[in-house]
Amino acid sequence: MAVEPVLTIEDLRTYFYSRSKRAFIRSVDGVGLQVRRGETLGIVGESGSGKSVTALSVIGLIDAEPGVITGRVGFRVNGTEWSLLPSIGDHVSLAEEDGRIVEVVKDNRGWRRKVDRLMHGVRGREISMIFQNPRVSLNPFVTIGSQVAESVLLNTGIRNRREAAEKARYWLEQVRMDSPGLRFAQYPGDLSGGMCQRAMIAMALSSEPSLLIADEPTTGLDSTIQSKIVELLDDLKKAVGVTTVLISHDINVVARLSDSVAVMYGGTVLEYGPADRVLSPDFLPKHPYVEALLESIPSERHIKDGLLPRAIEGEVLDTVNAPRGCRFFDRCHRITNGIEEKCRDLEPDLAEISAGHQMRCWLHIG
Amino acid sequence: MRFSSVRTAAFVLGRELAITALLLAGVSLVVFAILFLAPGDPFSLLLEGQMGDDAVREALGVPTAWYAQYLSWVSNILRGNFGTSVHTGLPVLSEIIRVGINTLYLTLGALLITLVIAIPIALLSARMGNTSLTLPLTIAAYVISALPVFWLGYIAIYISTHRFGAFPIVVGSSGTQGLNMTAFLLPIVVLGVGNGTISEVVRYLREEMGRVFAEEYIRTAKAKGGSVWRHSVREGFIVPITQIIATKIPFVLGGAVVVEQVFNWPGMGRMAWQAAQTRDYPLIMGITIIAAVIVRMGSLLQRVVHFMVNPAAAGD
Repeated sequence: MAVEPVLTIEDLRTYFYSRSKRAFIRSVDGVGLQVRRGETLGIVGESGSGKSVTALSVIGLIDAEPGVITGRVGFRVNGTEWSLLPSIGDHVSLAEEDGRIVEVVKDNRGWRRKVDRLMHGVRGREISMIFQNPRVSLNPFVTIGSQVAESVLLNTGIRNRREAAEKARYWLEQVRMDSPGLRFAQYPGDLSGGMCQRAMIAMALSSEPSLLIADEPTTGLDSTIQSKIVELLDDLKKAVGVTTVLISHDINVVARLSDSVAVMYGGTVLEYGPADRVLSPDFLPKHPYVEALLESIPSERHIKDGLLPRAIEGEVLDTVNAPRGCRFFDRCHRITNGIEEKCRDLEPDLAEISAGHQMRCWLHIG
Repeated sequence: MRFSSVRTAAFVLGRELAITALLLAGVSLVVFAILFLAPGDPFSLLLEGQMGDDAVREALGVPTAWYAQYLSWVSNILRGNFGTSVHTGLPVLSEIIRVGINTLYLTLGALLITLVIAIPIALLSARMGNTSLTLPLTIAAYVISALPVFWLGYIAIYISTHRFGAFPIVVGSSGTQGLNMTAFLLPIVVLGVGNGTISEVVRYLREEMGRVFAEEYIRTAKAKGGSVWRHSVREGFIVPITQIIATKIPFVLGGAVVVEQVFNWPGMGRMAWQAAQTRDYPLIMGITIIAAVIVRMGSLLQRVVHFMVNPAAAGD
């Protein structure tokens, strides 16, 4: 743990108000994570577990209200420290009932203005983002080359258009775009999804960021293209060595690219630690959810033992009516009589069970 | 790549011209049919009270069958001959061009007024949502758009002459064509405000801008530190604005007929009105064809702008 963290997230909560349900959707509900320089942090979880919202909260791109309501996000590069969230007290006031937030009053316009000011010179320049659905995430009215060159002009020292175009071409080559010279002048509509994702990656890297956030970079692509993009990300990681947050519901992708892993469920982190421990079925102890998650994907073991992958029973947690106790309570198979009451009524903390390995489960922290 | 975009351009242009030709054929046929079925015809109008029609027709070799009449009219138009006005005896085309210039001033000016009022409201409310500033403005736009233009015209005349004694209101009699600069403004403003399109421009533009602001590529633009406006202007502003101008040209022309009547503006609309009253067949048909051409040119312009904004998407 000698390497300093680039990104530190503490107690992040991002809520959305659902008019139809007259209640809060607790998309992110108390997330704390750290990303150290040079490492790749993988965030896995089912759809709706709050992975993407966590990332969007970090770079201030949450539009729906109320959005971020608690937390601290620190960002540190070469001794310069940024706080990426406005101080909560200035904009938000909360009302709690039984230790749960039931009312939020937030000055959203002031908040947004403040966020944009804090993010100036950080978003795009120090932190880049790759989105899912590359074909709709690129501007359909602007050529690929211009979009990459724009990022170069905005975020690097280069001010000359021709130099920027040169640099853009260089990055298109780096992401192994076939015939980059031709692609340069084409529109996103002329390119396949995989090519668009390469362009997206080129654009994100072209600002030479200190942190790259990849939000489901392989989702929505053909599986052959998926593995090519994963290969590319792996190679770039070795060549460029940029600190990365990788968000994916695909455990294989995360296992291949990540150094450490956070498993999210219902807006919280259930297990957090080195990738080879968290995602290895043989390493014990495991959080029951992670255990079930690993059971649900086909692996060598399934083939060898002639077993079928097992689905996790039950529904994904409805964060509007999150239970008082453990969020995985309804679907958990490991509850014993001794701890059942605790599991139902009291949410466990994310506690350290060995050095650098944290877990949120009464089985292991009892 | 350049070659393919040239080919797309040629294809789009060819298709548009084909549509225009079809449309003009349809319009000419419909106008002709309406006038043919209406009681009376130009010939009896010309020879009112004189000797029996049929004998003269035959003597002059004028066709009686409807298709023969139609074809002879169309073939003349194709050669640039729109005929002469029954009433004044002047060639139709040059008359239309002469007064058409005045209508062009009126309609373009009015369109400009409409946009100057509607665009800021649309942009503000797209950006900020419904606030204490944008909501009243939007409501005002809807109320104003609901006012009938002839009523607005008379109210404007009443207020400016009877209250303030301003503006020489009657622009010109049918004889004089000189336009006075101050007299110019009132009809233009009245048509601009009263043509009923302000609310539609506001609604459409706000919707499109709002939709584009929520597009994922705008989020990407924000994520790379770029300008949201720069990335949304093409799809969110240029495309919808040309689209709505093109679709609203008929409404502005229709409003111009009323406004020209109210303010005695020597334009195409008033000429059409008079022609209809005096049953000046060649003039009515000529004006209709020209109006259809103008409307089509609006759509054509829209296609050209779309193509310039995004060559890749204009093909479909």
